[in-house]
Amino acid sequence: MAVGEEQKRSPREQKMLLADSNGQNMTALFSPRFKSAAAMAGWDEEALLLASLVVEDTPDRDSKHKRRFVLHSKTPPTNSSRKRRSQRTPQPVAILDLDEEETPRKDSGRKKKGKKISEGSKVEEGGNELTEKNPGVSSSSSVLPCIDKLREELSCAICLEICYEPSTTPCGHSFCRKCLRSAADKCGKRCPKCRQLISNGRSCTVNTVLWNTIQLLFPQEIEARKAAGILNGRQQAQNLSPESAFYATLMNRSTPPSGEASGRISRRNVATTTSRTQEDEDAALARRLQREIDEQSPGTTTRSRVHNARMRARGGISTSQHEDAALALRLQREEFMQTYRGSQEHVSSRLPSSTLARANLRSMASRAMNLRISDRRR
Amino acid sequence: MISGGGNSSWSCSTSSWVPTTSVSASGKRIQREMVELNNDPPPHCSAGPKGDNLYHWIATIIGTPGTPYQGGIFFLEIKFPSDYPFMPPRVVFKTRIYHCNVDSEGLVSMGILKDDWSPALTITKVLLAVRSILTNPDPYNNAVVPGIAHLYLRDKAKHDDIAAEWTVRFAK
Repeated sequence: MAVGEEQKRSPREQKMLLADSNGQNMTALFSPRFKSAAAMAGWDEEALLLASLVVEDTPDRDSKHKRRFVLHSKTPPTNSSRKRRSQRTPQPVAILDLDEEETPRKDSGRKKKGKKISEGSKVEEGGNELTEKNPGVSSSSSVLPCIDKLREELSCAICLEICYEPSTTPCGHSFCRKCLRSAADKCGKRCPKCRQLISNGRSCTVNTVLWNTIQLLFPQEIEARKAAGILNGRQQAQNLSPESAFYATLMNRSTPPSGEASGRISRRNVATTTSRTQEDEDAALARRLQREIDEQSPGTTTRSRVHNARMRARGGISTSQHEDAALALRLQREEFMQTYRGSQEHVSSRLPSSTLARANLRSMASRAMNLRISDRRR
Repeated sequence: MISGGGNSSWSCSTSSWVPTTSVSASGKRIQREMVELNNDPPPHCSAGPKGDNLYHWIATIIGTPGTPYQGGIFFLEIKFPSDYPFMPPRVVFKTRIYHCNVDSEGLVSMGILKDDWSPALTITKVLLAVRSILTNPDPYNNAVVPGIAHLYLRDKAKHDDIAAEWTVRFAK
């Protein structure tokens, strides 16, 4: 914060200094040769100084003129322009300058992005055409004449595949973030390409420009790798604990934005509108259900904690009661798991799984409600 | 002198058989290298899996003309560790060779196969490096057979004669 303030203040102070001791500064700015040249030419030094002042102020004056014209001079035009100059702080001008500098940059960035997108779409289109022509060849390859070279350039030297979330070393070499991290862990903190020391192997930041470019150029590879990553993540989740895996899969299945759900819809060619609303309903139901369960499971939310405290305040029986509740919950969850597994099997045997899943969710909801009611009664 | 430090990482690759269908990072990388080797083979070299084990390769190097090894075909065995790109492969000459950087077991001693290994190196580059030490032996840093290194430094002609004789005897 302090630094920012200083930065803000410093240009103003500089300008003020310039305005205050303008004459002295100007003379100091002139090189001795210039002075001698002026003397040789026999020019008046004061006149030179005045001229320099005019030169110095021209941009300011221009802007002032513009502003005056724009504001169609409601305030009476004062003849002492120097006074106004000293009153007016040059800060807004500086800010304006910054804006002016930044806006074209943004624009150019947008343009570039637009171009890239159009290129990407071209690539995709070309790829589609290619696949239509000869479906054996993988699409998006050899669409652009330089695509093979691009692939070579944009591939990670460690895994030899297209860089996934590329991270760039201080020496300018890019690798997959994961690859670079494991290389730093296992082979020491040196760049795999040039052996230069990587200052800190832990701070692997993704080179966003490169990453976006790669995603635009090789959408299919990246999608495939993303899908693989999700799969791995799911497997890990299943390894962690059955309950969490159950919830993870539940969330994945029921939330419409997840790729799998939408994929399922498109695969089956169901009337999308109805199924989507169903899925939405399912998702909402699942979320509500989980919230309720979370609230009831001891020690997860503040509400339940408060509840616990109240129960403890009431008497010693409460803990056992809660244990009972927890046991019941666990049993219920196991039941859910079983029913869920059943539904999964049905999925594999191509029965309408959405109806089954909905039924399961309904039953879960009703059970949760019952549990809550019984808890309240207690 | 002999790279004993790497032994722990080799053993895991040899003991645990890894199928070709493995989707591990090392398996993927090795598969990719195989494809690239087939598409763009290095000069006077060839390499590929020995059987269906992706981590066990056989390579050949043809002796560079102008060296005592010219005309010889040298077979090498390459074994990849399970954490391959991050650990160097083990390269062993299966054909006997008279060289100060190759020990009696055939194990190649090179900087890039030990501490100077980088995960950005590939088998193609390793084979090229092996070819380069056939042309220019390194009698100082990685000499695993001191006698040959001494002879190379003292009497290069005699060294070359013996090397050529070995090449004729074992590599043709």
